Amino acid sequence: MGFCMRRVAVIGVGQTSYGLSPERTLKSLFAEAARAAFADVPGGLDPGAVDEAYIGSLSTGGSQLGNFAPLMLESAGMTGVSGRHVESACASSGFAFRDAYLAVASGAARIAAAGGIEKMSDLPRERTRSWLGVSGDVEWERLAGTNFPGIYAMMARRHMHEHGTTKAQITAVGVKNRANAVANPTAQVRKAITLDQALAMPMLADPFCLADACGITDGASMVLLCDWETARAFTDTPVEVVGSGAGTDFVAIHDRPSLTRLPAARKAACQAYAQAGLGPADIDLAEVHDCFTIGEILAYADLGFCDEAEAGRLVADGVTARDGPRPVNVSGGLIGKGHPIGATGTGQIYELVHQLRGTAREPSRQIAAPRYGLAHNVGGSGGSVAVHILKAAD
Amino acid sequence: MSAYISLPMFGAGTGQRLRLEAGRCRSCAALVYPQRPQCPGCGDDAFDTAPLSGTGTLYTYTVIAGGGAPAEFDDQQTMTGPLTVGVVALTEGPHVIAQIADADPETLEIGMPLRAVVRRLFDQEGVVRYGTKFVPAADA
Repeated sequence: MGFCMRRVAVIGVGQTSYGLSPERTLKSLFAEAARAAFADVPGGLDPGAVDEAYIGSLSTGGSQLGNFAPLMLESAGMTGVSGRHVESACASSGFAFRDAYLAVASGAARIAAAGGIEKMSDLPRERTRSWLGVSGDVEWERLAGTNFPGIYAMMARRHMHEHGTTKAQITAVGVKNRANAVANPTAQVRKAITLDQALAMPMLADPFCLADACGITDGASMVLLCDWETARAFTDTPVEVVGSGAGTDFVAIHDRPSLTRLPAARKAACQAYAQAGLGPADIDLAEVHDCFTIGEILAYADLGFCDEAEAGRLVADGVTARDGPRPVNVSGGLIGKGHPIGATGTGQIYELVHQLRGTAREPSRQIAAPRYGLAHNVGGSGGSVAVHILKAAD
Repeated sequence: MSAYISLPMFGAGTGQRLRLEAGRCRSCAALVYPQRPQCPGCGDDAFDTAPLSGTGTLYTYTVIAGGGAPAEFDDQQTMTGPLTVGVVALTEGPHVIAQIADADPETLEIGMPLRAVVRRLFDQEGVVRYGTKFVPAADA
């Protein structure tokens, strides 16, 4: 990271509830998230004061491909603001957040907005199956006959083979994250299940059953960033972005030397840790990309929380439970909170900022006085990854 | 709705798809498969054609439940139900994603020997698209 970068803070966060909203338009969802973000800035902020805006989305089945960002911005009272659509599959708004961070850190912008949106529920099934399956290496992965559950399932089977990780350990991620979602008022799946119930659910892509996967979700999120020097004019509790990292990798899994790690995640994490001057032991809570249960298992080692071979035990032993020593996905994660693709990255930031401020809705889900939170947002099966580290106000 | 890979584009890949032609980098001799515009190791873009033997072992696999495969494979899933996909470690080194055919999923094991066969993948633009699938080598 450049030596002349400015310090950057998040001064406001907003999000819709995640769930199924077939009757709502893209504009209505995005406007709700944006309004919530501006209302969250204690000193108030005029939407027109945003210098640069970055809107993540996979583009909602192609329903709105062109001029996506201006359409969202006009819906949110931000007509005229410089904006663009950011696409990086499921990491779209993780990258939107990084772009907004870089814009402010570089001095090019004083205030930047990063957001994301997806509306997945009211598309014809044929279209859903098409657009959700074209974020891999289409020529070789999709056209061999596999879907995304299949890609992650093959990674899971390899983890089981190389490290003795068990199916029960992997599915325990889905049980944990559903349990966490119960207390989160913005979560989609607020129903806990037992491990036995989870393991008995219908098979999706062996070894995955339905309990190992996230679902179809509508939602939007937005966060507002500002340079550190002026952040205090807006809020007494600015949450500093102390580390930002991102990386890419071969998109098709057959081009990667290992299926039990995501090199893009490791690069992004190293970059974010180095910039922050922190290590894995400093992280008090993390929101990680559990689109499928194995995704969280991979994240544990990619983020340095444990060795690859120990990752299955980390969740099974309760280390990453909400009341464990290293809570992961207290929001419910993608499986419990929901995964409106383009909204997920800044939705993770929304959760971390509330936890770091001590304002997580429902006292039962507030982690006690966390200092550092980490967000890990993966595009496709690891073709792109963004990692951010946030610090609570002193 | 299908992912659209035009016939000319698909046709241009028949050498590597049906005859398993890899590229041998003229600079560093790396074997590149599937083929790429440039060598991931050294960056050179000149390759000699290097046919692969079509033998390998099963590196990992999954069985995709009925109705879950991409829309291009609806006909296949209608006829045969769950669809088995794997990553195959080819004898010469590269890995490739492909369907595993003619095998009861219960009998699959990581490391088992496989061999390549040309099989129908799907129809598009009124033309049957063929590709490589792998079958247990013991059935050779």
